[in-house]
Amino acid sequence: MSEYIPTIGVEVHLELKTNTKIFSDSINGYGEMANSLTNVIDLGYPGTLPTLNEEVINLAIRAATVLNCKIRKTMHFDRKNYFYPDIPKNYQITQARTPIGYDGYVEIEVGGEKKKVFIEEMHIEEDTCKSAHRGTKTLLDFNRAGVPLIEIVTKPCMKSGEEAKAYLEKLKEIMYYCDISDCKIEEGSMRADTNVSIRKNESDPFGTKAEIKNIGSISNVGKAIEKEIERQAKLYDNNETFKPQTRRFDDKLQDTVLMRIKETGNDYRYFPEPDIPYVILTDEIIEEARKKIPMLPDERKKIYVEKGVSELNAKKLIQNRSLSDYFNTLLEESINFKIASNMLLGDISAYLNKYEKTISETTLTQERFIELVKSYEDNIITSKNLKDILEIVLESDKSIKEIIKEQGIENISDDKEIRQLIKRIIEENKESVEDYKAGHDRAIKYLMGQVMKETKGKANPRIANEILVSELK
Amino acid sequence: MKYLNKSIKEINELLKQQRIKPIDLVNEAFENIENNNDLNAYITLNKEEAIKKAKELENQEVDNILFGLPIAIKDNIVTSGLRTTCASHILENFIPIYDAFVIKKIKEKNMIIIGKTNMDEFAMGSSSRTSYFGPPRNPWNKEKISGGSSGGSATTISAGDVLFALGSDTGGSIRQPASYTGIVGMKPTYGRVSRFGLVAFASSLDQIGPMTKKVEDNAILLNAIVGKDEKDLTSARVEEEDFTRLIGKEINGVKIAVPNYFMSDIVNNEIKESIKATIKILEKNGAIVDYIDIKYIENAVTLYQIIAMGEASSNLARYDGIRYGTSEENPKDIEDLYLSTRAKGFGEEVKRRIMVGSYLLSGENAKIYYNKALSIRDDMRKEFKKIFKKYDFIIGPTTTTTAYNLSDPMDDPRKSFMDDVLVIPVNMAGLPGLSMPVGFDSESMPIGMQIIANSFEEAKIYQLASLIEKELKLNLNPNGGEE
Repeated sequence: MSEYIPTIGVEVHLELKTNTKIFSDSINGYGEMANSLTNVIDLGYPGTLPTLNEEVINLAIRAATVLNCKIRKTMHFDRKNYFYPDIPKNYQITQARTPIGYDGYVEIEVGGEKKKVFIEEMHIEEDTCKSAHRGTKTLLDFNRAGVPLIEIVTKPCMKSGEEAKAYLEKLKEIMYYCDISDCKIEEGSMRADTNVSIRKNESDPFGTKAEIKNIGSISNVGKAIEKEIERQAKLYDNNETFKPQTRRFDDKLQDTVLMRIKETGNDYRYFPEPDIPYVILTDEIIEEARKKIPMLPDERKKIYVEKGVSELNAKKLIQNRSLSDYFNTLLEESINFKIASNMLLGDISAYLNKYEKTISETTLTQERFIELVKSYEDNIITSKNLKDILEIVLESDKSIKEIIKEQGIENISDDKEIRQLIKRIIEENKESVEDYKAGHDRAIKYLMGQVMKETKGKANPRIANEILVSELK
Repeated sequence: MKYLNKSIKEINELLKQQRIKPIDLVNEAFENIENNNDLNAYITLNKEEAIKKAKELENQEVDNILFGLPIAIKDNIVTSGLRTTCASHILENFIPIYDAFVIKKIKEKNMIIIGKTNMDEFAMGSSSRTSYFGPPRNPWNKEKISGGSSGGSATTISAGDVLFALGSDTGGSIRQPASYTGIVGMKPTYGRVSRFGLVAFASSLDQIGPMTKKVEDNAILLNAIVGKDEKDLTSARVEEEDFTRLIGKEINGVKIAVPNYFMSDIVNNEIKESIKATIKILEKNGAIVDYIDIKYIENAVTLYQIIAMGEASSNLARYDGIRYGTSEENPKDIEDLYLSTRAKGFGEEVKRRIMVGSYLLSGENAKIYYNKALSIRDDMRKEFKKIFKKYDFIIGPTTTTTAYNLSDPMDDPRKSFMDDVLVIPVNMAGLPGLSMPVGFDSESMPIGMQIIANSFEEAKIYQLASLIEKELKLNLNPNGGEE
């Protein structure tokens, strides 16, 4: 197979996390009984008119901002006219000529290299209804009709499935963090289409495009693109051509499948929506919407690492927004953040997963968590102790000090007692002592293990370690 | 005993004194409608509900001037539980599940809906002959049209069945039939009355308005139906006002412009004479009248066709047989459902306009036609604003001829627009305009005059109109002298 340069663009539809729909006051919800979240406006009844949900505008401003887009201060909506059973009015209200955001970028990292994915435009539109085919019949559920969407269109600037995947992961992370969308691909609140073409040289015109629609997961987007590049390359290698087309990714085949050849001159008869006056976004409106933007994942990660958290832990923390938000509330405290992150991601996460809770549903106030971290740091409790008392810590309001007392945790911190014990262990393990002196570090771990075994884990490990080292000299 | 030929103040007194009950008015209205059955003014009567409502009102306090009065509603304004057809086969059996904003308003006033009036299909036409239910007839001469598209509302008011009706005006559809039938019809400023529940024809032009025999009644009905509606983003937020407040006030010193185009060769001579005679009366009362040129008004019809048909082609896309309305039984596939439902459901004129409108918005045409029309419309608005800096009113005839014969050919689609050449500029500029009778031609058919004012100056229009009404003292009973 010859070498080709792929050109990839991605279009993402995100359902916005608003209380109500974009053009009516029906509830914006998922998983409810079919057609229970509808009213005459959503169904396109004669005489109905759209209103405009301000929440949508605010979320769109937020989204445009975090995508580093310019914001169009005077914008309008357009009608996209086409007949299809899933659009109740047989036109979709969208923004064709004045998208709210344009000329933005998202920074991604692939193979250790940073790259900007350029955003062509981002516009607001309404979602269609959901259709289900049953034999010869088609059932329509209008709960989704009128759910607010933003569509984010990149420039054709990506070169591999890896880049597209990194872009989508990044986009998902940002949008989720900003409470713009819950970004659940499996529920359809995030949907990705991608355009793929290949060419021999940078100086050649773009090759014929294939659009791959509605791919079920981010990793499949990567696969779909790689497969599509392969398919197109084979065709070109055999001197074959193909028509612009729409394909889908088949999960079972793990390959793209033709849906339809693109019809030329698809005519949506766009014109400005006369039922919605121009929307003027003042600086005040824009500022107000931007205030709600929280600290973004990249910044969080940077701060965590600065505070001594490992790269891996920092990454894990931002993958769990509620833990990360919790962690953020501690950033001003003087605690050992490495220990704190280990605790949150270790035993505490295990507990949360087991009981399907979030950290805010436990009794672990910031104050008690700080006490817990300090107790561990000062060797008042060991990691074994932590495991033993964790459920009490997370389910009661008692102070950590009280719990330690109640549970009878008394770690042996008395120098004399430990020193005597260590002296005895050294006597009894001459072989290991020799090994240690011969430079085998493993030996000291074995000796420490003996100390812990003898004290049933109650020896203060830091003190025991210090004494052991001094006795061995 | 007849009551619906009395003034509404008298009726209100009689109701307050409990000398009559709302049911008397309702019975009288239905009797009138029955007697005038051949006029075909109604598509659906609301008899049972109207009687029920009238009985309910017997135990209620007469709390406003419109209390208990019957009203007719154009059949493109949705009424909960009452069939709303838009005079189309496609909505022949459509029973809405909600009330239009204006219907809520008139129900708040305890008015009684008597029925839904005939009209051009989806308000597309100027003679009400595109109605699926056959055209209404002009009470002044049953062989003549009542005009359109609000022909049924004009007919029932003209015939004296009821005192109040609502119409809608996209390109003259209130004023032109008002002119043809010798009644008062007001198209308020765009945004003055909520369009929520008005079945859309051309969204940027449609406006609901009152149709009555008397000027003051018209203002009183307008009082009842206006107001900011959060459900209509094009509804204007303006301060509440009483549209009758200037009635009876002197007009000494008002400045009136008469566009030369409105008095040109396109207008029938008898009409021009009648308008001139009215102008004399105004001058006698101290008005200053100038004949002026207004830019763009000759282009209004062309612009209107582009904008109205473009918007209509999109607005009428929803009638696809899926969610409501007439639907093709057992279609082969979805394409067949669309094609059969719409081919059978819509009449010829509606189909023609959908096709032309779709063409006008196709591909590059949207830029060449629709967008350009919008921008010229803006220029036209500015031109009108400029004139209203110097003048209080623009007046002229409402129509170029009086009502013509029902049997006149309908094969020239442009004629229907040319009937509205004098009324359309008002819609294009979003201005308020009223038509009122000012005389009769040699065949005793009514002649209408149009009064146009700056946006939101409806009260001033009523002031001028009431003076003309008082001065002319026309007998507006189509059945001659008998009251």
